[in-house]
Amino acid sequence: MSLYPQTHAFGQPTYPAPTYPQPGPPAYPYQQTPAPPPPVYYVDPNTFRRDYAARLAQLTINSRPIIQTLSMVAQEYSRWADIVVQCLEAHIRRVPPYMKLPSFYLLDAISKNVYDPYARHFAPFVVPLFLETYQQVDQTTRSKMEEMLLTWRTGAPTGKELFGFITQIAIERGVWGGDPGVADISKAQVLSELEFTLSQKERAVQANAWDHESRKHVEVLQQLRSLVEAGVSQDELRQILAQLRSLSQSTAPPAPAPAPAPPTYPQPSSSSYSYPSQPSYPARPSFVPPVVHHSQPQSYQYQSTDQPKSEPVDLSSLLSTSSSPAASTSTSTAPSNIAGLFSALLKAGIVSATGTPVGAGDTAKAEDNTPQPTSQGREASRAYRKAILGQKIKLTNADITRKRPSIVHFMYERLSVQCKQCGIRFSDDALGKKDMESHLDMHFRQNRKANQNIGRGHSRSWFVGLEDWVHDSSTDYKGKGRADGSRPLNAKASAAAEAANREAELRAQFVVVPQGDEAKTISCPICKETLKSEFLEDDEEWVWKNAVKKDDRIFHATCHSEALTSVQSLAVRLRNEATGRSRSGTPEASSSRASPPKEAAALRTSISPTSESKRAGLKRKVDDYSSSDVTAKNDNDGTPPMKKLALAA
Amino acid sequence: MQSDSKEWVLDAETEYRFELDPGASLAIKLVHGQAEVFGAELAEGKTYLFGSECKAAIFTWQGCTLEVTGHASTEYVSDETPMAAYANLHIAFEQMRVRALRVVHGSPASDDDSDANAEPPRVLVLGPDNSGKTTICKILTNYAVRAGQNWSPMLVNVDPSEGGWAVPGAISAAPVQSPLPTASPANPLGSAATSAPTALSSNALVPLSYWYGHPEIKRNPLLLDRLIRNLGENVRDRFDGDPEAHTSGLIVDTPSSFASGPTSGASTDSRHSLIKACVDAFKINVILVVGHEKLNVEMQRLYGSRLTVLKIPKSGGVVELDLPYRERVHNYQLHTYMYGQKIDPPPGISSAILGGEAVTDLILSPSSSIISFNDLTLYRIGAESMAPSSALPIGAARTVSEMQPVLVDPASSGSGLLNAVLALIAPFNPDEAERYDEEILDLNVIGFLVITNIDIPNRKMTILSPNQGSFAGKTAVVGSFEWQE
Repeated sequence: MSLYPQTHAFGQPTYPAPTYPQPGPPAYPYQQTPAPPPPVYYVDPNTFRRDYAARLAQLTINSRPIIQTLSMVAQEYSRWADIVVQCLEAHIRRVPPYMKLPSFYLLDAISKNVYDPYARHFAPFVVPLFLETYQQVDQTTRSKMEEMLLTWRTGAPTGKELFGFITQIAIERGVWGGDPGVADISKAQVLSELEFTLSQKERAVQANAWDHESRKHVEVLQQLRSLVEAGVSQDELRQILAQLRSLSQSTAPPAPAPAPAPPTYPQPSSSSYSYPSQPSYPARPSFVPPVVHHSQPQSYQYQSTDQPKSEPVDLSSLLSTSSSPAASTSTSTAPSNIAGLFSALLKAGIVSATGTPVGAGDTAKAEDNTPQPTSQGREASRAYRKAILGQKIKLTNADITRKRPSIVHFMYERLSVQCKQCGIRFSDDALGKKDMESHLDMHFRQNRKANQNIGRGHSRSWFVGLEDWVHDSSTDYKGKGRADGSRPLNAKASAAAEAANREAELRAQFVVVPQGDEAKTISCPICKETLKSEFLEDDEEWVWKNAVKKDDRIFHATCHSEALTSVQSLAVRLRNEATGRSRSGTPEASSSRASPPKEAAALRTSISPTSESKRAGLKRKVDDYSSSDVTAKNDNDGTPPMKKLALAA
Repeated sequence: MQSDSKEWVLDAETEYRFELDPGASLAIKLVHGQAEVFGAELAEGKTYLFGSECKAAIFTWQGCTLEVTGHASTEYVSDETPMAAYANLHIAFEQMRVRALRVVHGSPASDDDSDANAEPPRVLVLGPDNSGKTTICKILTNYAVRAGQNWSPMLVNVDPSEGGWAVPGAISAAPVQSPLPTASPANPLGSAATSAPTALSSNALVPLSYWYGHPEIKRNPLLLDRLIRNLGENVRDRFDGDPEAHTSGLIVDTPSSFASGPTSGASTDSRHSLIKACVDAFKINVILVVGHEKLNVEMQRLYGSRLTVLKIPKSGGVVELDLPYRERVHNYQLHTYMYGQKIDPPPGISSAILGGEAVTDLILSPSSSIISFNDLTLYRIGAESMAPSSALPIGAARTVSEMQPVLVDPASSGSGLLNAVLALIAPFNPDEAERYDEEILDLNVIGFLVITNIDIPNRKMTILSPNQGSFAGKTAVVGSFEWQE
């Protein structure tokens, strides 16, 4: 920094008004806002240009803090918008493909948050820049760029296209080909729009796990996605697209209205722009159009998108049960959309399912959407079934040798989340995430076990006996397999699965660490071991894992439940044992020994309701599965003994 | 890194094929893109080791860049692969699976496929030598487990020269839940469970195994027939107990001798009867014939009326394997069974994974112990060397039938037991009343042993066993396999 002015500063007419930044920040108004990000205050554009470029160079990964900082600087120095824009353009063009996406996120953030004057500065070159980048990056990045592109449609504070209609159309045409809405609509375009809608919905589900409606919508959208992927005709694509688009357009305008006209910079804690700090698995950059700020229009939009897809019966029942005003608004304001989209979807479904575009409407409607609540897994496998059966392949020599590239979709695209350890893939929906988590847990356990076993040596096991082989339902060799309880297992396996489920559920409980207590270590009063704190990426909070809070004390959820169970059934025996045990020689030890049951006994009254309700929740879950599953009925009948077993465990 | 590594850029739907010399190893890293080795996807940035004369191919559907370190005796990129056909097969089988699952779940049939049957795919793969049968089985299995539908197809290997998860000489079946890695011909189908923790459940398979004991099927086709039926019956039992698992279907890999051989006479009968045994035992509903026109016609004629017979293309990448190679592979397999898998990475590679696992976790320590002759009861099935029944004088019966268990005395000098591979079999039925003469033929294998030394004067022998577990008082069956470290 200092070199430059010293050699060229004086008598260089090409560098207007060079000054030293070192002499100390002049007492400009900026000083009273000592915001941490921009520590240096610029007085001349050249210094600013150099510094901004240098900061940009740090944007090598998708880092939210960096993007925020850069975006804030851009906001503060909007008088030098042209410099920011030039730097950013040069940066995007210069960096290798894998670093381009974060830069685009920055462009996006600046354009949306500061809008004026940046959007119009970017507009002239954003088309070639976007398309060139799009050509260079890999498939994952592309889909993220598509996602971003979709948010641009309504990205302006007015709810219009962020960079103007012409620009938007030009990019979309470049990405998806054709002239959207007029000529050919590519499958890719519909898919990415669907994907976009879907990801918004999934976020809603993540934000509120009990939002069953959203959950259902996700499923329906996924189903729709597989339908589209399986292949529908141009006409249906157009219809679906038109419906999706008209919906989002009709909902978009009201959204920005409540937004204050001068765009404000989102606080770091705001979740509207979540730039994931690491680009690994859960890092789905959540690009949310401004609409998202207003939950009401948002849900309204989705209700009208999704309800049509559940069958009419469902719709009315939903309406009657739903107390949310959003649901009723949706139906009252957009009935035409519902009807239109419904028919479009129905058609799409039938076409992909049977290949006979006419006459099958009624039957398809009747069976595609079973009114009973179905589990997510069921829904997902149903969608998969549709997609697979939509493939027109028969087991004949001619069909097998005929080339069809759809395998890539089923093997790769449909399963977009990949384990970095072993390459196994999972779908990107809630279910897939759950599977991925348990898969990663398995890796973790395996690594831990491997570390414990060092130097001990391994050997080949004997094969299992015939009886075990025939009757073991292969669920639990490595603790992996279907823990969804939907399979008819034998009693022992189901009891074990139940216990494992319960344990997993306990372990998943957490207590949010109070502000300021992050560094404090606390230990479980029962086992005296330290509670582990962990940062939850999704919620952005420090939590204690495997923890419950009772009477202002934090327990391990597992310890607590164990103590609870034992107290309920074995309190007396435990107490006897504790006092009668000879090896607890020291008074201290004996007192600590005796404490758990006492503690638990004291807690019993206050706790039992929650644990009761938890068990009820478990039970309900079992019911959910079995109600849609005839074969699991037997299991369900066997619940009481199972429960007993689990309690005794 | 160092001069030894090369980068290969593959276009979409091409594959990089390589063959290794004995002792050589190869490290392959997926630098960019997506790639799979026989249907098992590679993780980006991980280094995969291959060794023990592995001959394999890395295929990519969408293009990829590979970094290859080490020396391969042959390596090239081919753009002619039958993968599209195999992928279509997979899709077709998936259709069968989802239909079968729907029926199990009791969901209503949608009109799109009401005419189709709801049987899961039960596939028999037939083909001559070097047609890539095992590879096809592996690809189809891997695709099924990768579908994300929790399928766990039953993979059955009735090729005694291959051994599957056990050792050569055995036929076995195992449900597969995670992709089968490829690293060496020693465990082409994943490996059986060990006490080591494994990341992939396909490295800890739990097979059901029966001991045939010979590499060639013509040695005792009757025995193989019986074992196949035993295997099939137990697989069926297992499916009956778990209908949902059944929907994943099964895939049967067969020896090449099922497909080729003398065109007439007794051996044709025996291979047809073995094919029939498979079809019956596993209720086969799809037969895949790999690259063998005539066999396809034969199968069409025999089974075309009641099940689907398909001719599928053979990969141009299959390598002609000679007998010495197959024998070396048998040695690798036995060594791997006892000692685990150890492949020294090529120079310059420090960390790598082998078949999806950390290299160290695959090294095993067998146990060697000296036992008395009386501690182990040894049998041989049939006489040690037998002429085919057709060679006997007309009307003459065998003195020892092919299926008769013959007690072997280690003390007799000509027992031929030194270095013999033994199959330790499951205990006899505890209920005396339930026992029968040939029960030993119907007992499954729980492990394999090798006699490494015989001390006749002291009536003792040294046994190498895979683990410390006791086998005193048990029964073992001798085959014709021998192994020396």
